[in-house]
Amino acid sequence: MELLADLAAWFADPANWSGRDAIPVRLSEHLLISGLAMAAALAVALPTGLYIGHSGRFDLVAINLANMGRAVPSYALLVVFFGIFVMETRSAALFTNGPTVLAMIALAVPSIVTNAWVGLRAVDADLVEAARGMGMRESQVLRRVELPLALPVILAGIRTATVQVIATAALGAVIGGGGLGRYIVQGLARFDDARLLAGAVMVAALAIGADVGLGWLERRAAARTGSAADAEAGAATGRGPAGAERPAGV
Amino acid sequence: MPEIGPLVDFPWLLERVDMLALRTAEHVWLTAIAVGAGFAISFGLALLIRRLPIAYGPITAAASILYAIPSLALFALLVPIIGRSVLTVEIALVGYTLLILVHNIVAGFRSVPAEVIDAADALGYTAWGRLWRVELPLALPIIVAGLRIATVTTIGLVTVAALIAPWGLGFLITDGFRRFFPTLYLTGAALSVALAMIADALFVALERRVTPWTRPAEPPTTPERATAAG
Amino acid sequence: MPDSRGADKTAATLELRGVTKRYGRGATATTAVDDLSFTVPAGMICALVGPSGSGKTTTLRMINRLIEPTSGEIVLDGQDVMHDDPVELRRRIGYVIQQVGLLPHLTVGENVAVVPRLLRWERERIAARVDELLALVGLDPARHRQRYPVELSGGERQRVGVARALAADPPLLLMDEPFGAVDPIRRERLQNELLRLQQRLAKTIVFVTHDIDEAIKMGDLIAVLRQGGRLAQFGPPAEVLANPASDFVARFVGADRGLKRLSLERVRDLQLGTPVTARPGDDAAAARARVLDDPFPYLLLVDAEDRPIGWVDQDDIGAEGTLGADMAVPMSPFLSPHTTLRDALSLLLGEAVMAGIVVDERERLLGLVSVEQIAERLRTPVANA
Repeated sequence: MELLADLAAWFADPANWSGRDAIPVRLSEHLLISGLAMAAALAVALPTGLYIGHSGRFDLVAINLANMGRAVPSYALLVVFFGIFVMETRSAALFTNGPTVLAMIALAVPSIVTNAWVGLRAVDADLVEAARGMGMRESQVLRRVELPLALPVILAGIRTATVQVIATAALGAVIGGGGLGRYIVQGLARFDDARLLAGAVMVAALAIGADVGLGWLERRAAARTGSAADAEAGAATGRGPAGAERPAGV
Repeated sequence: MPEIGPLVDFPWLLERVDMLALRTAEHVWLTAIAVGAGFAISFGLALLIRRLPIAYGPITAAASILYAIPSLALFALLVPIIGRSVLTVEIALVGYTLLILVHNIVAGFRSVPAEVIDAADALGYTAWGRLWRVELPLALPIIVAGLRIATVTTIGLVTVAALIAPWGLGFLITDGFRRFFPTLYLTGAALSVALAMIADALFVALERRVTPWTRPAEPPTTPERATAAG
Repeated sequence: MPDSRGADKTAATLELRGVTKRYGRGATATTAVDDLSFTVPAGMICALVGPSGSGKTTTLRMINRLIEPTSGEIVLDGQDVMHDDPVELRRRIGYVIQQVGLLPHLTVGENVAVVPRLLRWERERIAARVDELLALVGLDPARHRQRYPVELSGGERQRVGVARALAADPPLLLMDEPFGAVDPIRRERLQNELLRLQQRLAKTIVFVTHDIDEAIKMGDLIAVLRQGGRLAQFGPPAEVLANPASDFVARFVGADRGLKRLSLERVRDLQLGTPVTARPGDDAAAARARVLDDPFPYLLLVDAEDRPIGWVDQDDIGAEGTLGADMAVPMSPFLSPHTTLRDALSLLLGEAVMAGIVVDERERLLGLVSVEQIAERLRTPVANA
C-alpha cells in the first residue's frame, strides 16, 4: 500500500532526524517526562499503597481512588491542569510540559495504590500471622513475606500506570507539550498522513513495548511465587484484569 | 498573550444549555454504540472460547495489545485508512472494550459452580436452555461489573475522539482550548467527569438489582426444625 | 400429563445388561465399569456400594446418560435408554447429588418447578405440585416457597433437592451419596424420612453410597462393586451379609457382618419364650410348683392387665400364703416387637441379664427373648430373604 511507502519515506527523510522536531529529540522528551512522572508517582503512591494494604486501614481510600481514577478522563484532567497553570503563571508558553506531568502523576497514582492494596490484601492472612508469630517486625513481615507474594499484582499496577503515563504524554502534545504526540497533533493539523502515522506507530510501539516488557516481569514474579490469582481476584472484585484498570490515553 | 477573563462565564453557559445538552447526548450515543457493539462481539468471542478453551489465550493476547495502544495513537492509526469519521472512532472504541468484556464474560461463565451445571443437565435442560436460563443469569454479576468498567472508560475515550471528529463533550474541550476559553473547556471537562461518575453509579445500582438471590432476606434457619422423625 | 413413552407408572423396572464404560483406547484404556448386569424391580431401592474407584457414580450417571456407556444396554421399562433423546430422558428421571446443586438464582419454589416447567405443565398444576412436594419433604410451603437457596441450611437444601427430583413424578430416582454432606444425626433423620417417603411413593431408586451400613439400611437390594467396576455381588442385604460371595465382599461388608445382620431382623421375627407367670394374690404353693417344674428358675409377676411387675426367684417363694407384689424385682429391660435384634442384644448385654421382656404398646406381656435365642439366630443360614 502506498501508505506504508509514505511511512517508510518519512522515516528515511533526514529532515525528520534533525532540528527541534527530530525523532530523537521528541523520543527523549517523551521518555523523560514519562520517567519523571512515574518516578514521582511511585514515590507517592507505592508507600501509600503498601501502608494501606499492610495495615488494612483506610481501605475505603483505596477502593474509591480506583473508582475515581477510572472515571476521570485524562484529556479532561490535562486541560484542567493547563487551565490552572495558565491562571497561576499568566503564561501559556512556559512550563509546556508542567500540566502534562502533573496530570500523568495524578493518573498513575490510583493504579499503583489500588494494586498495592489488592496485592497485599490477597496474601494469605495465616502466613502473615505465622511471620509475626516467629518474631518478625512489621517492616520485616512486609519485606520478606507480603511483598514477594504481592509482587505480581503490584507490578501489574505499575505496568498499567506506565502505559497510562506514556499515553497521557502523547495526549499532552495537544495542550502544547512535547514528546512523540507532537507528530500526531501536527499530522492531524496539516493533514499529513505520513507524519500522523509515524507518530502513531512510534507511540504505539513505545506503549506496547512497555506493556509487554513489564508483563514479562510480572509473569516472572508470578512464576517465582506461584501466585497466578491476580486475574481471578480482579474479576471477582469486578475490576476486570488486574493489569487493565483503564485503557491508555483516556 | 491573550487576556484570560474570569474563569467560568456562567451566564454564557446558561445561554447555551441546548448546545451542552446536544454535546452530552452525542457523547452518550457514541459511548452506547461502542459498548453495545463491543458487548455483542465479546459475547460471541466468549461463546467461542466456551466451545474452544484454547482460544482464550490468543484472543486475550490480541485484545491486550490493542488495549495498550494509547487512544490518540489508535485513532491516528485508523485515520489514514478510514478517514475522520464516526466509524473510525467507533472501531477504536469497540477495540478497547474487548479486553475487559471478553475477560469478564468468560470469568462470569466460569464462576458458575460445577454442581449447578451438573444439576441443570440432569434436570433436562437443553444445551441452549442451560446457557440462557442457568449460566447467563449466574454470570450476570461479573458481566455487569465488566460493562461498568467498559462504559466508564469509554466515556473517557470519547473525549479524545473529539480530536478526530467534532463530536461529544470532548469537542467542548478542544474548541475551548483552541480559543483559550476556560469556560468552555472547563465545562467540557467537568461534564465528562460527571457523566462518567453517573454512569458508574448507575451500573453499581444495576449490579445490585441483578442479583436478588445473594442477599438473604432472613438468615438460614439453623437447627433444623424437629419434624416428625421417621 | 403422562409422558409419552410408557413411563406413566409411578415406578419403572431398571435393567442393566453388560454395561461397560471404558476411557481411552488400546493399551492405555481404563475400565471404569466392567460388564455390569443386574435388574432392579419396580418400586425397590437398589444400593450401589463399593470403595472409591469402583465405578458406582459412573454407573449411576450412565443411567441418565450424563455419561454415555461404551457398550451394553440400560433398559427402563423395556425401553433402551439409548433410543431416547437424552434431554427428554433426563426429564423423566429424578437425580439427587451430594452437593444438591440447587439453582442459586431461583427460589425454592422455582427450583422445584424446573422440570414441570420444562414439560410445559399448566401454571396451576405446577403451583399445586410444588406445595404438595414441599410439604411431603417436611418444609412449610408458605414459608419456604419464596426463599433462595443461600438462605437455607444444609438439611433444608437436601430436602428441596429431593422435592425437585420428584417434581415430575419420575418412575426412577437416582441418588448419588445424597446424605454425604450432612452430619450423622441429620443423616439418620434424612434416611428415615426417605424410607417413609418410599413407603408412600414406592419409586424405583438407585442409591449410590460408599457406606455399607447405609446401603444395608436403605437398600432392598445391594449391588457391591469392586475396583474396576465389576459386580462382586448382587442380592438382598441379608443374603450379602450371610453369604458373601467372595473375600472382597466379606471384607468390605466388615468383620462384624454378623452383628449387621441382626439389625435387619426384629424381635417379632423370633419365637418368643413363655415365662411362668402369676398375679399378686395367687396361691404361693401352686405357683412354686409350677416354677420348679420349669427350667427357668424365675417367676414373672404380672398385674391384672398382664403388665409385668418383676421377677421372683423360685427359692424366695414360700410354701404357704399368697404372692405379693413386693416380692418382685424389676430387673429385665422391656423390648418392643419392633426393636431390631441388634438393639435388643445391645440392651440385654448392657443390663447384664439373660432375658428381656417383650411387651406391646400398652405394656402388656407378649413373651421373652433371651441372649441365646438371638445368638442362635446368627447361626441359622438365611433361607429366604
